[in-house]
Amino acid sequence: MSLIARHLEENGIPTIIMGCGKDIVEQVGAPRFLFSDFPLGNAAGKPNDVDSQAFTMELALKVLESAVGPRTTVQSPLRWDEDGKWKLDFSNIEQMSDEEIARRKAEFDRNKQIAKERRESDIKSAAAAE
Amino acid sequence: MSEADQEFGFAEPYDRPIPYIHRISTYYQTLGYGKPYRWAQYNDVPFTPLKKPLSESRVALVTTAAPYQPDKGDQGPGAPYNSAAKFYTVYTDTTETDPDLRVSHIGIDRNHTTAEDMRTWFPLRQLKRLAGEGVIGGITERFYGAPTNRSQKRTMEVDCPEIYERIREDGGDVAVIVAN
Repeated sequence: MSLIARHLEENGIPTIIMGCGKDIVEQVGAPRFLFSDFPLGNAAGKPNDVDSQAFTMELALKVLESAVGPRTTVQSPLRWDEDGKWKLDFSNIEQMSDEEIARRKAEFDRNKQIAKERRESDIKSAAAAE
Repeated sequence: MSEADQEFGFAEPYDRPIPYIHRISTYYQTLGYGKPYRWAQYNDVPFTPLKKPLSESRVALVTTAAPYQPDKGDQGPGAPYNSAAKFYTVYTDTTETDPDLRVSHIGIDRNHTTAEDMRTWFPLRQLKRLAGEGVIGGITERFYGAPTNRSQKRTMEVDCPEIYERIREDGGDVAVIVAN
């Protein structure tokens, strides 16, 4: 998504990225970025919490309007929960057993094959449509 | 937590943004996938100042979410990662009505979130409210679906120009891009 932001900005369209993956967005190099320190998938606010969704969207627009230069990151003051222990879990190999690692390896192989087949047929049908 | 941490009111050591690049690279290396994924990285970052106030600007909404496809298996809420629901070409759909978008094809945090509420990754309703209140000038007629493609070449050479062209056609002044 940061690549899209960069392309749009290069062509004269100001952008704001809303995201939860701080290091990834900042490494690519984003013009403006509202970072919510939430589990991936909640860049626009917390589930079933309209106040948090309203706050997040409004803050994003403020960052869009007020940033003075590129690499502007603002971190939302909202918290996912009180203790923040969810941050220990994501793809954290240090917390997995050998059985768990083996199970995940098998699942990864299966999904990779499905995606490959889908990609080939998508690109083929797009080419046919043109 | 040490005594000094407590005395100074420091946060818990784990309580900072997740270092995703490190976590994901280590994860796949441990699963035996050798060469780690290379995330894009640039030193120069483009920046375009706003040309007019937001209250006069038309907002384009860009998403990585996919339209629900009944024939493509479990797409949630609570679905496991579903690569069959992925898409590889840019799509657009109307912003007039609420679409049914899903994120089962994306690496969201499945331990801690279930994707039960589309508004957490697709803020169209909030944008509509803000358009109604005059905070933004309006929303483009269509929103833009961006493939989450492992091929950066395709993202940069095909998808990025495609999204730009469509936003331009629709008279978008600024873009809100929601990453997932």
